[in-house]
Amino acid sequence: MSEIEIESRNLDLWYGSAQALKNITMAMPEKKVTAIIGPSGCGKSTFLRCINRMNDLVKDCRITGELLFEGTDVYGNSVDAVELRKKIGMVFQKPNPFPMSIYDNVAYGPRVHGLRNREELDRIVEESLKASALWNEVGDIPDRSAIDLSGGQQQRLCIARTLAVKPKVILFDEPCSALDPISTAKIEDLINTLKHDYTIVIVTHNMQQAARVSDHTAFFLLGELIEFGKTKQIFELPEKKSTEDYITGRFG
Amino acid sequence: MKTSERIIEILLFLSAATAVMIVALIIIFLVKEGLSVLVKVGIIDFCLGMKWNPIAIAGEPSYGIFPMIVASFYVAIGSLIIAVPLGLACAVFLAEIAPSWARSILKHAIELLVGIPSVILGFVGLVLLVPFIRDHLGGWGFSILAGSIILAIMALPRIISISDDAIRSVPREYKEASLALGATHWHTIRKVILPSARSGIVAAVILAMATSIGETMAVLMVVGNTPLLPAPIYDILDPVRPMTSNIVLEMSYATGDHASALFATGIVLFVVVALLNVISHKALKSRMGTRR
Repeated sequence: MSEIEIESRNLDLWYGSAQALKNITMAMPEKKVTAIIGPSGCGKSTFLRCINRMNDLVKDCRITGELLFEGTDVYGNSVDAVELRKKIGMVFQKPNPFPMSIYDNVAYGPRVHGLRNREELDRIVEESLKASALWNEVGDIPDRSAIDLSGGQQQRLCIARTLAVKPKVILFDEPCSALDPISTAKIEDLINTLKHDYTIVIVTHNMQQAARVSDHTAFFLLGELIEFGKTKQIFELPEKKSTEDYITGRFG
Repeated sequence: MKTSERIIEILLFLSAATAVMIVALIIIFLVKEGLSVLVKVGIIDFCLGMKWNPIAIAGEPSYGIFPMIVASFYVAIGSLIIAVPLGLACAVFLAEIAPSWARSILKHAIELLVGIPSVILGFVGLVLLVPFIRDHLGGWGFSILAGSIILAIMALPRIISISDDAIRSVPREYKEASLALGATHWHTIRKVILPSARSGIVAAVILAMATSIGETMAVLMVVGNTPLLPAPIYDILDPVRPMTSNIVLEMSYATGDHASALFATGIVLFVVVALLNVISHKALKSRMGTRR
């Protein structure tokens, strides 16, 4: 068993007076893929957004409990959300490249963090595009607008953009829900490669995808963590009735 | 189709046609009245002539409106120099930073600002601004600077509300992507949000310029209205006479060629404002194009 990278302890979250997460306790190991599955509205994306504090943007969002990253509570007073997000990257549901060139998209993060050296930037852009399996397709057209790429390419560009910041963790929020099956397969292959270097947490409503890419799986229902364990165990020998019902497609 | 439907459609069409007809009539009227002087003096001499002397006691009258064209642009651009940074900062605050209560207070204040009749702004300028400039900066007080400041106050609400719309229509996903990469809010505003809203902001600025050039009353009361170029040309404390003031000041007693020259001034003004409006619409359109 590898080290624990992210751990949530008794995490509760309210949007105004509505409780969206109830007493979530789970630990996500380093350099493994943890999948979060569950029906729409079960709080899985909300939980994911707690990890890099994207919920800070939401008004009236209140959080209690602990969320530890490398042993420190990310909601502690001394933690700067901006610094945290450098270490915990995120890929969103809808591909969201900036309306800039491919190069500028990937170089955005390093530039944010003060890198100006052109050669160094070139190197990072190339590395990141290679690591996201996009280099062969766009390596010779870095000045083309990112908006002209296909949806799947845009999503891989967003992954490259995240990798360029050299995070430790990458959060994927239903990264394939807007993509066709071929693009989806490419992203899944990519996740399988990336897990050697990064801790990955992926939210998905596609159970086959969770089964294919993840080492551990968490099943959320109505804001509660119902079951968490090795993916194989969750899919083959679920302990709880509702987990079994969900993965066998009885509801969802 | 039922007859009643048909009648309603015809009535609606007529209402729409009225707007077009009115514009067409105004253009025809302007050209008809102003053309004689433009032909007599020549468009180039009229626009670039340095001397405006419509009622010559001795010798020929001369109709040159170049100093007034310059004056119109001078006060309008001056107002933009003041209003754009202020307005943009205010729009960013409104769209990105202000909590909802502050936003609603500001929005109401801005609406109130729109509602102030221009003659009141002019009056305030005349009573407060002109003496202030005279006492503290020198000159006569009636000046390009005074006109620019008053126009800036009038342009502010327009710049703020159009820029605010442009900033708020930037997809939320861009902002989230930038923040998730560890960018600060300010960095995100500068590098992602403002560039994405650029065409809307440009449209706001050009539209503000068009209205500034066309504004009459408030400017008339504070610019001094001497039909000469400022001397030296960069002296913003010198009085000038924009095209709009020229028409208002002299139309009550102008006859013959003189009256025609005022209409011709109106033609030039109309063309300038129309051009600016077209550019502004183009800018807005291009924004729509990139929003897909």
